[in-house]
Amino acid sequence: MQAVDGVDLELNPGEIHALVGENGAGKSTLAAIAYGAVHPDDGSVSADGVVGLVHQHFKLIDRLSVWENVLLNREPRRGWSIDVAAARARVRELGARYGLEADPDARVETLPVGIKQRVELLRELDREPSVLLLDEPTAALAPGEIASFFTTVQELAQRGTAILVVTHKLAEVIAYSQRVTVMRAGRVVASHLTGETSAEQIAREMVGGDVPALAARASTILAPLLALRGMSARSGTSMLRAATFDVRAGEIVGVAGIEGNGQSALADAIAGIVPFTGEMTFAGEPLRANETPAGRIARGIRVIPQDRRHEALVLNWDVRDNVALGRQRTLAMNRFGDAAREVIERFDVRPPNPDALAGALSGGNQQKIVVGRALASEPRLVVAYQPTRGIDVGAAALVQSRLIEARNAGAGVLLISFELDEIFAVADRILVIANGAFAGEFDRAKLDRGRIGALMAGNA
Amino acid sequence: MTAAFTRTRAFRDVVVVLVLVFGVGSVAMLLAHVSPVDGFAALFDGAFGTVGEVAETLVQTTNLLFPALGVALAFRAGLFNIGAEGQLVIGGFLAGWLGAQFPVAGYLAVPMVLLAGVVGGGLWGAIPGVLRARFGANEVISTLMLNVIALLLTTYLVTGPLQQGTGGGSETGPLPKAAELPALIPDTPLTWAFAIAIVLALVLHWVLQRTVFGYELRAAGDAPEAAKRAGIDLGRSALVAMTLSGAIAGLGGATIVAGVLHRFNTGLSPGYGFIAIAVALVGNLEPLWIVVAAFAFGILQSGAIGMQTEAQVPREVVSLIIGLVIVALAGRRVITALRST
Amino acid sequence: MNATTAAIAALLGLTLVKATPLIYAALGGVLSERSGVVNIGLEGILIAGAFTSVAVSGATGNPVLGALAGVVAGMLLAAVLAFAATRLAVDQIVAGTGINIAALAAAAFALVLIWHQPGASHEVPALGNTGEIVLIVLAFAVAGALHLVLNRTPWGLRVRACGEDPSAAESAGIDALATRFWAVVIGGAICSLGGVYLSLAELDLYSDGMTAGRGFIALAAVIFGRWTPLGATGAALFFGFFAALQFSLQRAGVPSELLQALPYLAAIVALAGFAGRVRAPAADGIPYVRP
Repeated sequence: MQAVDGVDLELNPGEIHALVGENGAGKSTLAAIAYGAVHPDDGSVSADGVVGLVHQHFKLIDRLSVWENVLLNREPRRGWSIDVAAARARVRELGARYGLEADPDARVETLPVGIKQRVELLRELDREPSVLLLDEPTAALAPGEIASFFTTVQELAQRGTAILVVTHKLAEVIAYSQRVTVMRAGRVVASHLTGETSAEQIAREMVGGDVPALAARASTILAPLLALRGMSARSGTSMLRAATFDVRAGEIVGVAGIEGNGQSALADAIAGIVPFTGEMTFAGEPLRANETPAGRIARGIRVIPQDRRHEALVLNWDVRDNVALGRQRTLAMNRFGDAAREVIERFDVRPPNPDALAGALSGGNQQKIVVGRALASEPRLVVAYQPTRGIDVGAAALVQSRLIEARNAGAGVLLISFELDEIFAVADRILVIANGAFAGEFDRAKLDRGRIGALMAGNA
Repeated sequence: MTAAFTRTRAFRDVVVVLVLVFGVGSVAMLLAHVSPVDGFAALFDGAFGTVGEVAETLVQTTNLLFPALGVALAFRAGLFNIGAEGQLVIGGFLAGWLGAQFPVAGYLAVPMVLLAGVVGGGLWGAIPGVLRARFGANEVISTLMLNVIALLLTTYLVTGPLQQGTGGGSETGPLPKAAELPALIPDTPLTWAFAIAIVLALVLHWVLQRTVFGYELRAAGDAPEAAKRAGIDLGRSALVAMTLSGAIAGLGGATIVAGVLHRFNTGLSPGYGFIAIAVALVGNLEPLWIVVAAFAFGILQSGAIGMQTEAQVPREVVSLIIGLVIVALAGRRVITALRST
Repeated sequence: MNATTAAIAALLGLTLVKATPLIYAALGGVLSERSGVVNIGLEGILIAGAFTSVAVSGATGNPVLGALAGVVAGMLLAAVLAFAATRLAVDQIVAGTGINIAALAAAAFALVLIWHQPGASHEVPALGNTGEIVLIVLAFAVAGALHLVLNRTPWGLRVRACGEDPSAAESAGIDALATRFWAVVIGGAICSLGGVYLSLAELDLYSDGMTAGRGFIALAAVIFGRWTPLGATGAALFFGFFAALQFSLQRAGVPSELLQALPYLAAIVALAGFAGRVRAPAADGIPYVRP
């Protein structure tokens, strides 16, 4: 498989260069090649000085301290041992210089996401890179944090660092970059000075045409379905406090929020994975806190988990057996093949082969199977947790359209997403979640982006 | 077809096993000042030389097949049951002791003895299952401990309070004739235990591939988080899989008592429960391939005796080879899972 | 000194004797697991140390040389596991089980070749009382040293990083596979001293099965000690106490097999009570495969 093909890219000192493209276009591969983690089959990479890379998924070690993470493999020594005092001082000094303060002795796992991002950046800055690659650096940041993050990045650029920001957030590209390169299917398809282009033009270049339209939304009769009253739950580090809201049959309720603000606890409590306190009723019946996931499935509740590879699929099984997962008690085994073919056809899964191993499919096709099987048995409530994470625009549009069609057919849909654009495009009603609590509600017709962003950041 | 096969993992595994058997075997024989040709001739002669030796090879196959099927069942459910040895010993003990102490007449005698083995092994397997399901205790370490405890406990019982034997004391009294498994080939040690083991392999294959129970068990083993979200109770799955795994190993112990020794004796198993891990891995945790693997290891086990007596090569060399086979093949499932991602 | 004090002193002395091989094995396990490799093969490494030291002491007449050879053998066996666990990325639990079977068989095989008798070796020149005391004291010294190495040195930090997240460690320029390899091998050296102690200090011969599952108890001590050198040492002393208790109780007429089972039962109970309240290193037991 070739991820990147014949790419020319030049980064200049003092310049913020944006690299955009949809999922699978090859941007992360290109960043890895530039960093030296992947060797190109052909062509070359050259850089003056050290190249630093800030990963999309933090490469931080949770149970080590901040200084241990920042200075790992570059520890100051005193004789045979690490000079811990010098290490602390170095991290403090680095933080002061770049405005990225963090307690050197804090364990990383206890820090909020924004501070983890700082630690990640500090680790690269300690190496004094002349080129800094940032792979989707703002994925886990609140709107306010994003602005201050780019302030730091701009300062770095002013000091002469060449910066490449890999992203799919076009608003950030327009606001902060000087130059933008667009990739599609492993090739560079366009390169502009940012001032001479627009978000709309970049979007068309990314997709290679117009962005696919979503299914039309039909008028539906709203009926009570799921009601939460003061529901609290905890799943791992995710905490949800006193959630009170309704999801009615025939509507899509979007939960807008930044990753790590209680969304996992919400999804897991509804799925029956973790217990809850407070009240939750479904179709008029109270749900018991200790009811099993099997019980929730039997009621017609389907949860599309966030992590399709670990929480949804058995990667070393074929598509047929994966499509049956969750329905193994109700679907006869000799019907597994038919069920798989239905999902394959309705969701355009490629290859269209029930015998293909799930692990061998692309992320988009894996997700089609997960969403397809959730919608196949006429669910009454669908909880879709990041249903389009990491998949290409075409597959994402298909998944979103099928969710809208399920709503049109009378199902209730709870869409939990970290992508505001997705929520705006799909949801009928929007709830904002921050710090484990619900902070506001907006109707599709009366959106206030600025207000929603402020609420997501925890500013009431 | 043949070119394609030589590239498969199964083929590579066969090559690895053959290299280990003949390579390590040859080196060991040379160390014992025996020509490898003579040594392996003695080994194969010991395994196939006479009808009696062929029967002994199939007895060893049987004795390995039961615990290997048990190990495979647990592994498929994602549980490292390293405790087949202890489960086999406890099963054999309960079969031998109850069989001798409370003789049952007629056709029920054999089934009762085998049932005692199933119950004994099942209970011994359930302990780590409960410890894991209720307390989250790692089954690897608890099964390792329970192996040692099983041996100490049965030794204590047959030399102490439950001593029934007359000669030397580390065994129970003899089973009544009615409780002995009938021979499959007359005048050989091969009994119906062999047929039971083969049928069990077929049943297990069917259960794993064709039943909801098997489907859920495999899901729990291959992707526990996904299984949990699909309504599968992981704690219950662990308990059931460990109990069944132990029961199958315990049944194996009972067949050794009822078919070979006709009493329980603390020397019941020369490590069948450990060798079973190699058998299960070489058989790729698939019951039908495990039958083939058990036969291959049965040849080694039974030939080792001939090799020791005919060629004066200490029989432990076979265990050495088996240990190395386990190390070499320990990667199969994990590698498969990683490569598929 | 009255009889009770004497009995207590004897019990404590015996606790030290019984705990020493467990301490070595548990410390070897701690180092290995902090780097991310579960070492089920501790039992086999004990056997390698115990057997080789006796064989070499018998051949050379020099027990110190024997002890050194035992350590080398333990390192070599650990290297087999380390290679399989890093370069081959095999399942560590299964591979460790194979190591145990192979070591037991290899020792039994070589025993027959060398002494022409199954079961046990002849008596060989041993380390004696002085050697025994040195090895007991050394066990505690190694525990303290390992504590410092893991928590204060660059290498220790790297080992811990590999046990928590080898991928992140590699992104910081650490060779996670090599770090794990050497942690397992050095852990093997430490563990093998436990075997040397059993055969050449506590006794003066090797017999089949003499390690009697101590490697497995050491695994429980690693968990019970929360994967720390000092904690594991404490846990080994705890299990050593139960092993010592069996001799006192045996004199009181309790059957020996039941008493021998005591430390194993204690380990199971400790595990059940302790599991779920402790966290293993995050990447413990998970093979690392470079992307």
